[in-house]
Amino acid sequence: MNRFLTIMASRWTRLVLVLLIVLSLQTTVFTELRPFGVAVQVVLLMVVVAGSLFGVAIGSLTGLVAGLMYDMILPTPVGLGSLALGLAGATAGLLIYFFNEPTWWMRSIAVVVVSSLGEIYYPLVQATVGLDGWLQLRLLKVVLVVSICNLLLSPLAVLVCRWTLSERKTVA
Amino acid sequence: MAAAQSTRRRAIILLVLTAIILITLDLQNSSTISGLRSVFGTVFRPIESTTRVVTRPVNNAWHGIFDYNNVLDENDRLREQVAQQEGATIAAAASVRLAQELLALNGLPTLAGINAVTAQVIGDSPTNFSQTIEINQGSESGIRVGMPVLNAAGLVGKITKVFTDRAIVMLITDPDFALSIKVVNAPRAATTTTTIARSNAAVPSPVVPVDPGSSAGTTVETTTTTTTTTTIAGFTPTVTTLPAAPSGVSSITVPLASELAVRETGVIEGRGPSRQPIVRFIDNSLRFGDIQVGVPIVTAGGSQSLSPPDIMVGKVARVVERLGSAGPILEIELVADLSNLSFLRVLLYQPITEKPAP
Repeated sequence: MNRFLTIMASRWTRLVLVLLIVLSLQTTVFTELRPFGVAVQVVLLMVVVAGSLFGVAIGSLTGLVAGLMYDMILPTPVGLGSLALGLAGATAGLLIYFFNEPTWWMRSIAVVVVSSLGEIYYPLVQATVGLDGWLQLRLLKVVLVVSICNLLLSPLAVLVCRWTLSERKTVA
Repeated sequence: MAAAQSTRRRAIILLVLTAIILITLDLQNSSTISGLRSVFGTVFRPIESTTRVVTRPVNNAWHGIFDYNNVLDENDRLREQVAQQEGATIAAAASVRLAQELLALNGLPTLAGINAVTAQVIGDSPTNFSQTIEINQGSESGIRVGMPVLNAAGLVGKITKVFTDRAIVMLITDPDFALSIKVVNAPRAATTTTTIARSNAAVPSPVVPVDPGSSAGTTVETTTTTTTTTTIAGFTPTVTTLPAAPSGVSSITVPLASELAVRETGVIEGRGPSRQPIVRFIDNSLRFGDIQVGVPIVTAGGSQSLSPPDIMVGKVARVVERLGSAGPILEIELVADLSNLSFLRVLLYQPITEKPAP
């Protein structure tokens, strides 16, 4: 029983539950609201923020979990989203690693840069399994809109990520 | 420091390996992955439905702010269009009915003979790299992977994934979409039609079409007594006998065999939402002639095609000629407006080669 409670109270369980809600927001509200015809990627935002706050390992694992959940609802092969989002999380962690005591604006820059890269990773990964045709000029518009929107939404994402992924000390 | 580096490296290796294993499993059509998708769908759908209800006011506010003027303009445009098309629709419906009767009489397949399921669009693709939509009908309505999906205008896409009560439709504009089609090329302007006009005082006489290459066969009699022009599409004249010219005016225009529409097959491929689909592998034959902008594109059908023949797809918007025998590439303007889909029809059609043996 104690073990079950420990698992349920762990940050990974919280992450899965939070990602379920974020994914549902992605498939409903952010699919409908398309600034300039581009779908804002809040799942990517969560992964990037997790990477920039908690480093490469947590970022890539968050990306793996989020990508796997995303893959389950997409018609593309399972694993593509995991790889793309995992790489995005890892890149965010690596980018922050180069800053000594990163400030909020450094993290904001990391969010913009890695959101752009994350949005490019997906068609690149698709192309590796033969699903090519997405690397076209439109990608520039997609990258620009996604990174700006992610920058605007990042303060909220930081709060959610901190709450989700921080380790809680349990009182015995 | 070294430990942190090692953790990072391990995390990235773990990520890449896991992803590769998952991709490999799914590309091998693993039943485990299908089961996982199904279980995840069961868990996720209620959460998604709740979120949709909760966020509906946000959606409405967004569309109210950003789309109101567009909706007004579109409404005006559509009213005008409806008024223009009301008359044409009645005539078209009669022609379609006649065509279907003729096809049925000759034992040829028609769209009217294929069962269909009406479905509502319940979601767009959440990513920017997939042109798909989700509909609210699935395998329990008889939908299978590969079935064609239409709206009132024409072909929209095909089913790519089916769940119990929903399905994913890949739109024509997705780069992974491909389907065999026919280009119905219209011949050049009627330059070979022979017209003989006899004049009888002030009253013009019938016009007689003569095909110089023909020799024997059919006799067609047409009698008109008022000032009308009758065009018999698809009619190949041989020997034409006309009745004696009445006191009224009669006129018949019959196309020659060389003026009839010529069909050539090709493959339509999507190119993403910002670019028009293209048709490739068109045979550059002399008989087919130069493809003109605006000629219709319909599905080819056939024993292996996923779609029945003669579903309207679009019309040629641009012809890109290529050197040698490669044949031209055609850019297609779709008849269906893929940005505004609400109700769709899934044809429960499976090619003969896909049907399970009895």
